[in-house]
Amino acid sequence: MTIEKTKMMGLFATEAEAVDAIADMQTRGWTIERVHSPVPSEKIGKALGLKKSRVGWFTLAGGITGFFTGFLFAAFTATRWSLIVSGKPIVALVPFFIVGFEFTILFAVFGNVIGLITQANLPRFDYSQDYDPSCSADQYGILAACGQEESGDLKAFFAEKGARINTFETAEEAA
Amino acid sequence: MSELTYKEIDDTVIDTLRPPGAKYWAMIALLFCGVLMGAGCWAWQIYMGVGVAGMNTPVHWGTYLINFVFWVGIAHSGTLISAILHLFRAGWRNPIARAAETMTVFAVCTAGLFPFIHLGRMWLVFYMLPLPNQRTLWPNFQSPLMFDVVAISTYLTVSALFWYTGLMPDLAAIRDRATGTRKRIFTVLSLGWTGDQGQWHNYARGYLFFAALATPLVISVHSVVSWDFALGVIPGWHTTIFAPYFVAGAIHSGLAMVLTLLIPLRKILNYERLITGHVLESVAKTIVFTGLIVGFAYGTEVFIAWYSHNIVEMETFRWRAFGDYAVQYWIMVVCNTVAPLFLLFKKVRTDLKWLFVISILVNIGMWYERFVIIVGSVAHDFLPHAWGLYSPTIIEFGIMIGAFCLFFFLFLLFVKHLPSVSMTEMKETLHHGASHDD
Amino acid sequence: MAATPETRKMSPLMAAFACLAAVGLAVFIVRAAGQHPAQAWRAYLAGFLLVSAIAQGGLVFSTLMHVVKARWSGPLANLAEAFTAFFPISLVMFVLLFIGTKHVFPWLGHDLHGKEVWLNVPFLFTRDLLGLTVLYGFGLLYLYHALWFKLKDNGTRGVIRDFLLARWRANPPDDERYRQRMTLYAYLYMLCFTLVLSLIGYDLVMSMDPHWYSTLFGAYTFVKAIYVGFGGLIILAAILHLNPQVPFGLKSSQFHDIGKLFFGFCLVWADFFYAQFVVIWYGNISEETAYVIERTMLYPWNTVAWAVFIICFVAPFLILLNKKIKTVPKAMIGICAVVITGIWMEHHLLLGPAYHEHVRGFPLGIYDILVALGFFGLLALAVTGYLRQFPELLDTPAGGDA
Repeated sequence: MTIEKTKMMGLFATEAEAVDAIADMQTRGWTIERVHSPVPSEKIGKALGLKKSRVGWFTLAGGITGFFTGFLFAAFTATRWSLIVSGKPIVALVPFFIVGFEFTILFAVFGNVIGLITQANLPRFDYSQDYDPSCSADQYGILAACGQEESGDLKAFFAEKGARINTFETAEEAA
Repeated sequence: MSELTYKEIDDTVIDTLRPPGAKYWAMIALLFCGVLMGAGCWAWQIYMGVGVAGMNTPVHWGTYLINFVFWVGIAHSGTLISAILHLFRAGWRNPIARAAETMTVFAVCTAGLFPFIHLGRMWLVFYMLPLPNQRTLWPNFQSPLMFDVVAISTYLTVSALFWYTGLMPDLAAIRDRATGTRKRIFTVLSLGWTGDQGQWHNYARGYLFFAALATPLVISVHSVVSWDFALGVIPGWHTTIFAPYFVAGAIHSGLAMVLTLLIPLRKILNYERLITGHVLESVAKTIVFTGLIVGFAYGTEVFIAWYSHNIVEMETFRWRAFGDYAVQYWIMVVCNTVAPLFLLFKKVRTDLKWLFVISILVNIGMWYERFVIIVGSVAHDFLPHAWGLYSPTIIEFGIMIGAFCLFFFLFLLFVKHLPSVSMTEMKETLHHGASHDD
Repeated sequence: MAATPETRKMSPLMAAFACLAAVGLAVFIVRAAGQHPAQAWRAYLAGFLLVSAIAQGGLVFSTLMHVVKARWSGPLANLAEAFTAFFPISLVMFVLLFIGTKHVFPWLGHDLHGKEVWLNVPFLFTRDLLGLTVLYGFGLLYLYHALWFKLKDNGTRGVIRDFLLARWRANPPDDERYRQRMTLYAYLYMLCFTLVLSLIGYDLVMSMDPHWYSTLFGAYTFVKAIYVGFGGLIILAAILHLNPQVPFGLKSSQFHDIGKLFFGFCLVWADFFYAQFVVIWYGNISEETAYVIERTMLYPWNTVAWAVFIICFVAPFLILLNKKIKTVPKAMIGICAVVITGIWMEHHLLLGPAYHEHVRGFPLGIYDILVALGFFGLLALAVTGYLRQFPELLDTPAGGDA
């Protein structure tokens, strides 16, 4: 069974209006798919009840891996020839700490990037679907989905809140 | 700044991406000729051997190392501005963060050329890379030169990733206003960024971690570079103050280069409303601070050289100030410690001409600081019989000029094809200003 | 402190601190007069340096936040300024060091091959006394101008505040000029802080082994002072925040921010330590390594060194990576107190081997602890006295909030 859904985006000029609209939409039971903004907005994030970002765990995992990799790498290569150079021990912790430190940062950054890309679902090849370009300029866009019959009410709601409306093609979705 | 709107920010910045005029292309062509000249000198050196450069006993490290340290140093203040000031929530960094980060990436690229150039037979550079091989030879990770390999590669990678991550929302903004080929290019580059809260949420966190990781990286990279010298036993090199001294000096020269780049850029690209006088003043005040640190280090080294009552140390520092390279030493001291003190006066800080002049002086002074340290210490170390002087050859000058041309060439290309002010961060400044409670 | 409008001479708290100081003094005098005067004076020197550093570094917070025009730090800056109350005491304690010169300076009477021009008691004392006077002078001048903006004529009585209020009533100051002077003295204080603490580090710690030197030692000293100064500030802020009788309270974001600064300086301190260590270790030059080997690789000092490393770097680093812990005042009191103890041990680590050549047993004992606690008693006495003089500094507009 398919339900035809209408997707429309209400574009607000200020963050305050957008937050207000989100609160209202949540009480009235409208489905909010996404909210776009030109800058990160803590208030909108809180209004939407976004859970804490998990990127940090990727970073931490990368950092720990890097620390041990750096140390072990340097120690391993030193033991291949086991030559005493300049009177220093073969596995010398003092200088190897630097190698470990740099690898920690490098792998932590790799973890950070992987975390960022996976958690933000990038790259997105279908980005232009249900997206209004003014969201990257100065508009806060709330993408809402509703059934065909309710689209008129939704339009009225957005108009009442002072938003510019952008309706997207109706999508056929499986229930 | 109060009348600035998101639209005006976008317009001002995207306006700079308009097709440039003849003067721009002439500049690009001139700089490219400089790059070709530098490449030609390098090719000549590869053909003839590294003897065409001036390095010889006792001074084995000359302008190639000086330029290496110089460019890595310049890279550091870019990361200071974009990462460290982000952690301190200093709003004045926002208009200049993008240009500063870009400066970092290009400066590290330029710096990275010099170890290759200095190597002479650069095709043997793979000796330095930890690759499994038939002879089961590995690089000696106890060597500070290997620390450098690891540190500089890490710094280049991290800076480039940080730079690109910062660019993403701006690339999306340009994609949304562009048409044709440009739109296609920026669609690919922006990775489909749409700015929905799920993305921003993770982005803000990721960016914070980038800043938090880049900060110790900056300090460690230039400390590692300083340890190239300090871990040796040469008087004038073997001293514990090098790590923080070099980091402070790096930020000093980097901030000066930021001013050198941004003062003309601001005028030519009409950024006066975005990069305000207040921002430039804040940079100037920071230069006073780093200048004082550098001065403190100079004073400490001289004092401890006397305190040590070690005849070699005392002679090294006496010769630095009054010996064969005394001119370079005093240029260094005056340009690095005296010139920035003029920035204590508001009249000087707010006059762009003087700000520009002082920034050039600081850059010159910092170049000479590396000269005094690198060449000056080795030229005059333990055995009087082994003392000798060094002067750069025409090939070295050619390569040095080529490197400067490469840096400015890349920066100039960047300025016309990518947004040189971060639209997103400018909008964030307005955003925070509007919703500021306390 | 809305209860008592006039300050009584002694509160129970101040009495307790005075007792602590008296015990420390008594222990010190007994030891100094007894069989181990060098150890007694070493304990005195370590206590003096550490507690003065806490006061000097603590004030840096206020001056720094003022010059960068930070907006979050107001209530904490008020507490940071409380540390200036210890400055006069510190100066007196420094002068008292003069009594024990025979024991304080191991190089007395040794042949220093020309260094006697610098390392001689009259010159050393004069320059250090001058330095401390100038430093404390700038600090107190900064405080004087800062208090103009903070004191209210609310009927509280006290010797110093009466003097100040009377003075300002007679010659009402100009806000703009006082603000400019406040900024000027803030900069001068911080400049002198770096120079004077470097000098103190070279003269009173590094030169105890007169043949060893490290160019970074001066900067290492003042970075250490900022580290423990911020630690002391956090302890003070947390204690007052947790005390229901005091209106002082901080937002958790403020605890988070000062916690982050503390964490940052933990890293800076460790970095400055490592920068010296790696250079000396790697160069392997015997005139430099003897100092480091005795302190980090030979028994008994190596146990102290490892303890310092773990307490002052490894543990705070791992614990403070977590965001939440920085906003739990009780936890921060514990962490900062442990770090300050670690830095106290570090002072003994640096000074100790110069005072006892080739000691066999464990070199720290209960008497050293009691002397250090005596100094802490003096610091606490000064800070408590200051806050009782100026109780309005504890009124935070945001109130308490966990």
